[in-house]
Amino acid sequence: MNDYIVEMRHITKRFPGIVANDDVSISIKKGEIYAILGENGAGKSTLMSMLFGMYEPDEGEIFIRGKRESISSPAYAAKLNIGMVHQHFKLVQNYTITENIILGMEPKSRFLGFLPSVDVKGTNKKIAELSKRYGLEVDPKKKIEEIGVSTQQRVEILKMLYREAEILIFDEPTAVLTPQEIEFLLEIIRELRNSGKTIILITHKLEEIKKVADRCAILCRGKLVDVLDVKTTSTKTMANLMVGREINFRTEKTEANFGEKVLSVSGLDVRNDDGVSVVKDVSFDIKAGEIFAVAGVSGNGQEELADAIAGLIKSSGSISLKGADISEMTVRERSEMGISYIPQDRQEVGLVLDFSLGENLALKDYYKEPFCKNGILHHKAFLIHGQKLIDEYDIRSGQGAKTQVRSMSGGNQQKAIVAREIISDSALMIFVQPTRGLDIGAIENIHRQILSERDKGKAILLISLELEEIISLADTIGVMYSGEMQTIAAAGSLTSNQVGEFMMGVRSV
Amino acid sequence: MKKPKNALKNPFRRGFIAILGNEKYQGFTIPLFAIILSLLAASLLLLSLGKNPLIAFRSLLQGSGLLPKASYAAKKNILTDFMSMLNILTPMIFAALAVAVALKAGLFNIGISGQMLVPGFIASITVGYSKLPAAAALPLVLIIGIMGGAAVGSLIGWLKHRFNINEVVSSIMLNYIFSYIISYFINTNYIDAVSRQSRYISANTRLTLANIELFGLKMDIPLGFILAVPAAFLVKFLMDKTRVGYELKVVGLNKKAAQYAGINVGKNIVMAMAISGALAGLAGVTYYLGNFNSIQPRVLSSLGFDSIAVCLLGNSHPIGILFSSLLITVISKGSNYMSSTINVPQEISQLITGLILLFSACGAYIKHRVSLAKDEIRDEKLRLKQENEEGDRV
Repeated sequence: MNDYIVEMRHITKRFPGIVANDDVSISIKKGEIYAILGENGAGKSTLMSMLFGMYEPDEGEIFIRGKRESISSPAYAAKLNIGMVHQHFKLVQNYTITENIILGMEPKSRFLGFLPSVDVKGTNKKIAELSKRYGLEVDPKKKIEEIGVSTQQRVEILKMLYREAEILIFDEPTAVLTPQEIEFLLEIIRELRNSGKTIILITHKLEEIKKVADRCAILCRGKLVDVLDVKTTSTKTMANLMVGREINFRTEKTEANFGEKVLSVSGLDVRNDDGVSVVKDVSFDIKAGEIFAVAGVSGNGQEELADAIAGLIKSSGSISLKGADISEMTVRERSEMGISYIPQDRQEVGLVLDFSLGENLALKDYYKEPFCKNGILHHKAFLIHGQKLIDEYDIRSGQGAKTQVRSMSGGNQQKAIVAREIISDSALMIFVQPTRGLDIGAIENIHRQILSERDKGKAILLISLELEEIISLADTIGVMYSGEMQTIAAAGSLTSNQVGEFMMGVRSV
Repeated sequence: MKKPKNALKNPFRRGFIAILGNEKYQGFTIPLFAIILSLLAASLLLLSLGKNPLIAFRSLLQGSGLLPKASYAAKKNILTDFMSMLNILTPMIFAALAVAVALKAGLFNIGISGQMLVPGFIASITVGYSKLPAAAALPLVLIIGIMGGAAVGSLIGWLKHRFNINEVVSSIMLNYIFSYIISYFINTNYIDAVSRQSRYISANTRLTLANIELFGLKMDIPLGFILAVPAAFLVKFLMDKTRVGYELKVVGLNKKAAQYAGINVGKNIVMAMAISGALAGLAGVTYYLGNFNSIQPRVLSSLGFDSIAVCLLGNSHPIGILFSSLLITVISKGSNYMSSTINVPQEISQLITGLILLFSACGAYIKHRVSLAKDEIRDEKLRLKQENEEGDRV
């Protein structure tokens, strides 16, 4: 026996085409704050989802309080006193806080002595007490739709406490909070630890770890890199480990040969639907034959930058392509002017999953000849065009151009989008997270194509969360942090550590 | 723990899943299965009333002119019954097609009744009460039907596009608004003192040739039916083979992708509702100026609501809709005769129609259960195979 409350030994979890966790072993002591650090897609959430019973590991064992457990469902995890606050809250909007907290385990009472009913009054009191004890003040009678995001998070925490959870998992808890709210949350987390709870904190924000965590496991591409004592380790060391020091494969890259200016963005501002400024006064140029790569942690305005250039969202400031102002143009006008766009979300944005491959490969040209004459579509043209791209770009599909795209693998879906966008022969190509979720072979394939487009004299805007991808492809690197372009520099003049520091906002020019 | 199921043991179930599980034919087999289920349920109902369900179903077919009756009144035979069934089938086809077009663009057009009523009323008071000859009046009635319905439909589409008002809410509300406004005008200007409906339109302007003497018979000939069947093929062509259809489908399946592909989402929402409304308008004029020849104030046609279920029963497919419209019309038309032959109230036949519509709405659920059962059988086979292999090793 030992004093570890949670032990995960040699955990491996595979998803089609990707190893999410590769032989990961961690041990967590009772009463500590244990952080799990890693980039997007490093396998943090997958690892914790297995502890919470949402997935079962392919290999490896989980021990809770020294006893081997097979956690087959979140309900079973709850029985083991494991609770999780998800990144996206799971609350019923038009129920009160109390109703949400007791949902699924309502305390029964007898109304008028015989009618079964839910004892809301008694629980209201109980929850008010509970919230006071942990400093999580809420009004139990308020409805979820009436309260703010940070209060909703408190409700999620109270939900775990009400169920007497001992092991609390927080999945990126600060992603939705303001700096003040983050301070407050971290205080709560400390408070919970002091009252004997074990906390697991999934995050990619170093400062938070430095502030509250006792120990920290670093995951990089599914593998456990190191487990560190937070007090004695610097943030820089952690950042380096998280990004991964060694780069496994180098893509062959020829000398850049810049031509004329293709894209020019100046003073670009974007506000999201809530009116919050997400891109702030961003300016840069991209020349023909140049890969301009934007690095940054997810949610710092990069996706909005790409959408604004493609015309999918409103922006202010000026955008010009080949010397012509395009800021007032529609998406189609911009695309005809010469913008190709490989969006981040290939299934939600880049493809119509219920359409055939052939129809998807013509998604931006369907209205032109030979696909369409006088408003009538020519299905043969779709099939011929589709087959051509399938052969040229090695897109694997069950029934050729007639395959429903939904049935294809993620890698082949991405190949289809890239093929479609490349053959439109645009002056500017925007790639957002082009290799997300793909396996090594597919990644290399996409990288080769990006480079060959550059060598053909295209201007390329590459937005990626993978620092390694940025370093190996970029001619020029720009780093975004909280909507601002922190720096723009030639690729050779920055080390990956320096880029990482700009990404974390811990370094300024 | 789930009880381990032995999915392979039951050959009946396996055969069943094999038939329904073939995805290629599911568009056809699942509605058929739903209909069989509903007929079984209806049989139980009839048996519990002490009636023979077979006689009941036969009299439904007889009443709608698909099987000969035992005896006919003077100048009536199976053909006259069949024609009068076609007379009400015509607006049903148009209305169900209207639902289908909107559905393809991801819109739920529940306001068919309103989109029928408006052009029906306008055509009645302009052309219907005029002295125009048939050759001029009939095309005019059709044009008013198309334009009037399209106008109401695009208003709903525009409200959604411009103000983000859910089409279900706006179309229901507009149903009432139009119904009351039109009732006001009928009651004040066009009322027939005896029937308490709007005055009858002139026979020249009616899309159904009523009481025509032909082959020694007296029958109604619905001219609109000549257009209804081609309309279904036209809708199919529109959706499958034209740029407009391609854009509507992209908008219906994935709005974000539509926007990304440079498709004007708002324009297509208005367009889809305009086409849907135009078809509903045709349903309206073939209903109010065809099947009937006057408008009852303050009544929204139930056909406009039934058409939603008819569309779903036909899997929202234009050709499927031809068949589902036929089925529902046969039952509702034949119900009169059924209630007299087996001596049940007419409500019973409405109940049967209701059962069919209810079961047809379960199509997605049946599909879901079938695919679950398919997975179960596959897993079970895999498990048995693995066990056998292990057994071999031992």
